[in-house]
Amino acid sequence: MLRTLAKILLAASPILAAEPLPQQALSVLRKNCLACHGAGLKSSGLDLRTREAATAGGERGPAIIPGFPERSPLYSFAAHKANPAMPPGQKLADADLETLRLWITAGAPWPAAPSTPGENEAKAALAAMENRPITAQERAFWSFKPIARPPVPQFGKTNPVDAFLAAKWQELNLKPSPQATPRALIRRAYLDLTGLAPTPAQVESFVNDKSPRAWENLVDSLLASPHYGERWGRHWLDLVRFADSGGFEYDNDRLTAWRYRDYVVRAFNDNKPIDRFIREQIAGDELDHPTTDSRLATGFLRLGVENNVKSEMTRLDELDDVVSTTSLTFLGMTLGCARCHNHKFDPIPQKDYYQIQAVFFSAKPVEFPLVEESVIDRHKADNRNIDQLQAPFKKRRSDIEKPHRDRLFEQKVNQLAPYMQLAWRTPADKRTEGQRLNARQIEKTLKIEDEEILALMSASEKAEHKAQTEAIAKLDKQRPSPYASAMTIGDHSRDALPSYFLHRGSPDNKGSLMDAGILSVAGFDNLPRIAPPPGAQSTYRRRNFAEWVASPRNPLTARVFVNRIWQRHFGEGIVATPSNFGKTGAPPTHPELLDYLSSEFIRNGWSTKAMHRLMMNSKAYRMSSDDLMDNRAIDATNRFLWRAPRQRLDAETLRDNMLALAGTLDTTVGGPAILPYIDPSLFQGSSKRTWNGVPDTDPSTWRRSLYVFNKRSIRYPLFESFDQPDMITSCARRNRSTTAPQALLLMNNNMVHLHAAHFAGRLKKEAGSDPARQVERAFSLAFGRAPVQAELASSTGFITANPQGLVDFCHAIFNMNEFAYAP
Amino acid sequence: MSNTLHSRRQLLQLAGGGVGSLAFHSMLANAARMDPMAPKPPHFPGKAKAVISIFCYGGVSHVDTFDPKPELLRRQGEALTGKGEVVVSQGTPGGLMPSSWEFRKHGQCGMDVSTLFPHVAKHVDEIAFIRSMYTLSNDHAPALFQMNTGTVLQGHPSMGGWITYGLGSESENLPGFIVFTDHRGGPIGGAPNWGNGYMPAAFQGTQFRSTGDPIVDLKPPQDVSRERQRRWLDYLGKMNHRHLEKNPLDSELSARIASYELAYRMQVHATEAIDLNRESEATRKLYGVDQQHTQYFGRQALMAARLVERGVRFVQIYSGGGNFQESWDAHWDLKWNHETHCAETDQPLAALLQDLKGRGLLDSTLIIWHGEFGRMPISQRLDGRDHNPYGFTVWMAGGGIKGGSIIGSTDEFGFRAVENRKSVNDLHATVLHLCGLNHEKLTYPHLGRQMRLTDVSGNVMREIVS
Repeated sequence: MLRTLAKILLAASPILAAEPLPQQALSVLRKNCLACHGAGLKSSGLDLRTREAATAGGERGPAIIPGFPERSPLYSFAAHKANPAMPPGQKLADADLETLRLWITAGAPWPAAPSTPGENEAKAALAAMENRPITAQERAFWSFKPIARPPVPQFGKTNPVDAFLAAKWQELNLKPSPQATPRALIRRAYLDLTGLAPTPAQVESFVNDKSPRAWENLVDSLLASPHYGERWGRHWLDLVRFADSGGFEYDNDRLTAWRYRDYVVRAFNDNKPIDRFIREQIAGDELDHPTTDSRLATGFLRLGVENNVKSEMTRLDELDDVVSTTSLTFLGMTLGCARCHNHKFDPIPQKDYYQIQAVFFSAKPVEFPLVEESVIDRHKADNRNIDQLQAPFKKRRSDIEKPHRDRLFEQKVNQLAPYMQLAWRTPADKRTEGQRLNARQIEKTLKIEDEEILALMSASEKAEHKAQTEAIAKLDKQRPSPYASAMTIGDHSRDALPSYFLHRGSPDNKGSLMDAGILSVAGFDNLPRIAPPPGAQSTYRRRNFAEWVASPRNPLTARVFVNRIWQRHFGEGIVATPSNFGKTGAPPTHPELLDYLSSEFIRNGWSTKAMHRLMMNSKAYRMSSDDLMDNRAIDATNRFLWRAPRQRLDAETLRDNMLALAGTLDTTVGGPAILPYIDPSLFQGSSKRTWNGVPDTDPSTWRRSLYVFNKRSIRYPLFESFDQPDMITSCARRNRSTTAPQALLLMNNNMVHLHAAHFAGRLKKEAGSDPARQVERAFSLAFGRAPVQAELASSTGFITANPQGLVDFCHAIFNMNEFAYAP
Repeated sequence: MSNTLHSRRQLLQLAGGGVGSLAFHSMLANAARMDPMAPKPPHFPGKAKAVISIFCYGGVSHVDTFDPKPELLRRQGEALTGKGEVVVSQGTPGGLMPSSWEFRKHGQCGMDVSTLFPHVAKHVDEIAFIRSMYTLSNDHAPALFQMNTGTVLQGHPSMGGWITYGLGSESENLPGFIVFTDHRGGPIGGAPNWGNGYMPAAFQGTQFRSTGDPIVDLKPPQDVSRERQRRWLDYLGKMNHRHLEKNPLDSELSARIASYELAYRMQVHATEAIDLNRESEATRKLYGVDQQHTQYFGRQALMAARLVERGVRFVQIYSGGGNFQESWDAHWDLKWNHETHCAETDQPLAALLQDLKGRGLLDSTLIIWHGEFGRMPISQRLDGRDHNPYGFTVWMAGGGIKGGSIIGSTDEFGFRAVENRKSVNDLHATVLHLCGLNHEKLTYPHLGRQMRLTDVSGNVMREIVS
């Protein structure tokens, strides 16, 4: 002990002269720790203002173990020897650390006179922590700058897309690939815009169309197809984490979620202006003239997972999902990173997070009826009527049960542990606290099963009891079936519910009251301020937020949306991280092109179809996808688009095209979801989770994949295996993995074999019994081309080699790389 | 078929040629895309080459198994006070409830084990017990997600996914991450418990069934013979190679061709791997495959040993499935519940330790025994216990574990972990460490962040590492 003290004195002697060690330690704490662990906040339950509180500690146990700095989290966290490293985002000066170490070694003596900061001082320090100024340099980051309209480089009379790309090719010495063949092109365009390959007749008609506008006409006709909305709606559903169930323990089915899905399909098919599409999803109920569709659109805000535990924390998690998804989807910003602290990389103050959270804080779920009010009134009245009719039967049934129930109860109490019996028998006013709890437990939870009661009844009692139960059940059957409704959003009232800045993201650490706001770095002058009109029952915070998001002056929104369209057409976005336009995202490969397209998009009234035309009518879109060796040496990954991408069919498109080839696909658009068969061993029972799969042989399951019920805890194996996202968080870009389980599924799955057999039947019908004709027809259907001689020879050889040859041949087509990739 | 790409290594060489369109992704993610399961070097040498997670779903009562609390008997029926707020998941908390089982000291380390685990008790000197675990939710789904994926929220990759992402798998013919669910059903939350989250599909657990074909769609329909399938594959291969000629350097096209050959081999190897007839009768008996109550878990434990022997990286077995009494979730009649579930698993667990040792695999195989939380020291529904996230016991054995370690403690009632508290992030950091992975460096990019299994915390429990 003496030696330790001597060591401390020696080590500390130069500064000891200025201040005693306890005071020094306290000033280190005050400077670095007390803002979050003191009068203002007690982050993770820790208060460092007194020795008692510090040694008692918080959620992680004692902060200080006097005498043992290495075992004291206060020191080991501060020294970055253990996690979490403290203070967040910085490290103490070595001298300060040494002070803490010596002070704890010395037993962490607190100064006699308390010199900890008072309430006011701490509050001021806290309030200061809420502000994070944004510098001019940060505002100058490319994605926050206003969208410019750069001049189109002059390369003759070309499509602007080609002109911008050509400038880069020239710069990098890349040679653009030759144009793809018409056969490849029509297949590419069909898969891209509708998700379905063209029929042989469509291919031949395009190949033989010598009109100079043949391509433009093809694009126009595909944009007019109802399947266009299904295909591009599906892309949108990835972004908004659409599912037909709520996730977590119960994963409750959302039987009306499909109405939002159909809204999205309709929006794309109708070429709804995207600024309107955005306003509807964020504030469809607060628009000047809400429509049924604009209300359905607000379902977007309810698509997230729902925890069955209801607490302040789970409510905040649900809001976080809304705030994060909204900012990722519309703004390409990772705002979710600013929930607990200022964004580490982008100029997003934590305050922005809470001001945007305030936009949604007053929202509440509304089941929006899709029927007349009279139908609802009738529905309610019918139910009330049945309740009344049932009441006497219920009363009589309970009267018959009562004497038996009471006797059973007494018997069961007698079988409990002696201390439990004692608790029960002790008079209520004499019970100890433990006895009170146990007596209440007995009263509330002692279980008496119906069978036990029935076993005690006389024959006549039983008969009468049964009669009551049957009467009740009979009445239940007369209850009206639920009327059509949709999952939508409204606000609690015209006045916003108070919400707060949360230090470290914790509801225990509330800071200032938050007003609604926007992402301040992307703000502009004269932000929209629409007041709730007279009689409105909502805050209009979402409306104002939506007006800012969908404004042509918002630097992010148009860029982000246009980039998403580009990504689908060209394999990768101009910004390769489509939901991250921040510092950690990829910089644009062609910034001027992105700005040109964005300004053009706005100029064309936020028209998606016009943007498709602009991109697809370029020569770049129509290039061959094959490699050119010279270019590979310069740009192996094709970031500068010297060729078209080789796009693999995603999970849904793969299944759709198998069914289309088989001639079994039901192309009906819209409606409630379908539940195809899933092997029960993959989901067998737990917590109300069921999947009432319909056998694969039932044609009602032969709908497009978009309509397969999307249950978050029971995924359709084909989709899960082929990288359909899990629909928990927003997905801007699917993974593309290649695995043996994928191959097993396509090799062995019954559904795949079933449709292979249908495909074989179709070939026999359409091409007769000659194997050569069958192969030609199959190639024409599957690949839009004739087989070359070698292919014809090996294929007919394969078909004729065994009795099941034709079915096996059809099954092989489903598995071929040529089938699995767009050309 | 001479130019068929057979091995992972060949494929990886091809991938190394620089094909791919994800230049912005990290190198790891890029390589992973080409051959996700190729073995990768650890960050530093780790003893554990494989991990077996035994998930006692529903939550085991620590105060009735590995954490004796005589105070519960002494103060039976009294209210639990002075230890902070008592939050229960299902209402009507009772007073303190004593354990129905006796505890005895075992082994050199003197570990207390109740009579519920007589077989495991014989192995305590090979096991490290952590009696001071805590987790963040008292609800099944979030707690399951926390234990499996490191966070209470749904949608993150599971531990098995992270480890196969970090190390790949040694087995060329089997999935790298395999999951067995209980015969009574899956856990709450379902497949996301072994999901890949935002990682590629390759990193999701493959569900194995313990009877019949191990994997759904492993075998073709009955009328397709092996010869017929081979002919089919040869034809498919021929057509795919012709298609490849146009773009021979596209490694994704090659990988897809190779995946069919791997699938073909997997059909044989997966069946062989779980064929317990290849084990001696003595081994089968050791695991209790011959007894009604132990046969399910026993079969799965023995299969796990065989899978690890064949190079599979991560195996998870769920004990308990479905709801309430079908799992360890003993809200009432704890006695029946724990006697049932302990009897089903005790002998097979001990067998697994003994058998792996016999096969020379215990040193390189980490076994983790855990639930999603513990159970309360107070009664619920008269003779049950509610969920307890504040304190519970987890044990680990094998692969780099210092046997006979007993660390941490709960308060005198077993309510809260008080001394040397360990979070689930700490547990995960330790598991990764034992596998030779630094939990702060094993990251995956997602939505602008470098994600980790351990989120933003986690300390390796060095005191139990040998």
